[in-house]
Amino acid sequence: MSESDASKAEPTLVERWLQDQQQWQRTLFTYLDSMMKNDEFLMHMGNAMRGSLLAGKPYPTTPPPAAASADDAATADRLEKVLYALHQLQGQMQDVLMTLDEIRAGAKATRLKPDSTKKPARRARAAAGARKTGNRRPRS
Amino acid sequence: MTDPGVERELEAMLARSEQTRARLDRLHDVLTSGGHYGTGATPAAVVHQENKLRLLRLLDESGQPRTGPPVLFVPAPVSRYFIVDLLPDRSFAGHVARAGFDVFIIDFGTPGGEDRFADLEYYVDGLLRRSVRKVSAITGQTSINIVGYCLGGTLSLLYAAMYPSTVSRLVLLTTMIDGDTRGGIAWVAHQMGLAGESYENPRLVPAAEIKSWFEMLAPGSNSLIGRVNDLWERLDEPVDRLRDVRTMATWVDDVVAAPGRLLAELYQQFGPGRNRLMAGTATVGSRSIDCAEVTMPVLSVSAAKDLIAPADGVDAIRSLVPHAEVMRLPGGHVGIVAGRTALALWQRTVEFLMRNVK
Repeated sequence: MSESDASKAEPTLVERWLQDQQQWQRTLFTYLDSMMKNDEFLMHMGNAMRGSLLAGKPYPTTPPPAAASADDAATADRLEKVLYALHQLQGQMQDVLMTLDEIRAGAKATRLKPDSTKKPARRARAAAGARKTGNRRPRS
Repeated sequence: MTDPGVERELEAMLARSEQTRARLDRLHDVLTSGGHYGTGATPAAVVHQENKLRLLRLLDESGQPRTGPPVLFVPAPVSRYFIVDLLPDRSFAGHVARAGFDVFIIDFGTPGGEDRFADLEYYVDGLLRRSVRKVSAITGQTSINIVGYCLGGTLSLLYAAMYPSTVSRLVLLTTMIDGDTRGGIAWVAHQMGLAGESYENPRLVPAAEIKSWFEMLAPGSNSLIGRVNDLWERLDEPVDRLRDVRTMATWVDDVVAAPGRLLAELYQQFGPGRNRLMAGTATVGSRSIDCAEVTMPVLSVSAAKDLIAPADGVDAIRSLVPHAEVMRLPGGHVGIVAGRTALALWQRTVEFLMRNVK
């Protein structure tokens, strides 16, 4: 390989600087493009600027203190207590429903089970009746 | 001809410029590729709902529920449930399901303002008890296997002591038992004012505040500059590896707000200087907790490099439940459950659950 070929293959420092600048432009445009087209990109960039790659939601930050009046705060407090009490009731209701389901399932199981034992029981009753009356069913 | 000294300097500047640009390009690639958006990796059906809680049942490849002995995963209520079902190839719950178990996962959801009144009794004797009941009803099994992670393990242990006949096997992962052990999230929360959390007039402790406790534990992550520097350095890693980092970050940084009453009670009962679990004086509501009732087989796993639940505090279960199998694995709090080396834990758990299964 001649010296001129080698110099063609290896770009000079100035050429590399120029290439790098072009790459920087490309990088910049890619970012701008994503900012314009992708709604979530800015949020994800914001997370990255907080040092996090958290996806899908903003990095947790402390919300500013609410400027609600004392009356509003008291009302909200009462409402939340009521709401929590409702959640507790919901839990108790679910317990009741589960118990009912269990009773229903148990009843179904007992209804199903005797099918196999019914005949012998009837036979036993019939046999007992026959013993009392002296009427015996003929054996088939 | 250029001065060689100047040329070297220019070369170094160019190299720095190329490295910075390459990092920004990789960051762009990662930020614009699909991330983990807070759902489990394995298909699942919601089989029970209460307040914000969802009980999920994992489905097989054909979308059908699996058969086999039931296993209920109980994650910590202050973080997201999907840590046990992170990625298709990195799912603890998925691994247990493929081993032949019918797997259920509790998703405690994100508490609302009214949930600040929720206490330990609501979680253990309410949400958890009814979830176990539902799993039993669905599977027809009177007792089920429970796998509790971190604070979810604490809830599971308390539940198992209250209703031992409904638990066939109990696995506790990085679950703090000895609250006097120095270090860990309880100590940090203690240092940062959890003692001041009111039981009578609780607040919804913001996610950012809970996050700040966790940040205090990880060197470099407790300051904005430290975190940004850490991420900047990581951007030299390949994009695939960065996607893994992002998945993990999506769990680590997605802390949820917590009921102040629950935290106040946890602190008052199990925090440093209280330690009522070890003292045998813990209560749930009006019921005393007697760990002697925990007679089912128990496996407790600690992580050697755990900053959140120090291994010594976890292994203290030996004195509370003497028959418990105690195992310490190399790795950290999250790594042993969902990291690249998590397979060791998954396999040991499956072995434990399969023992004596008829």
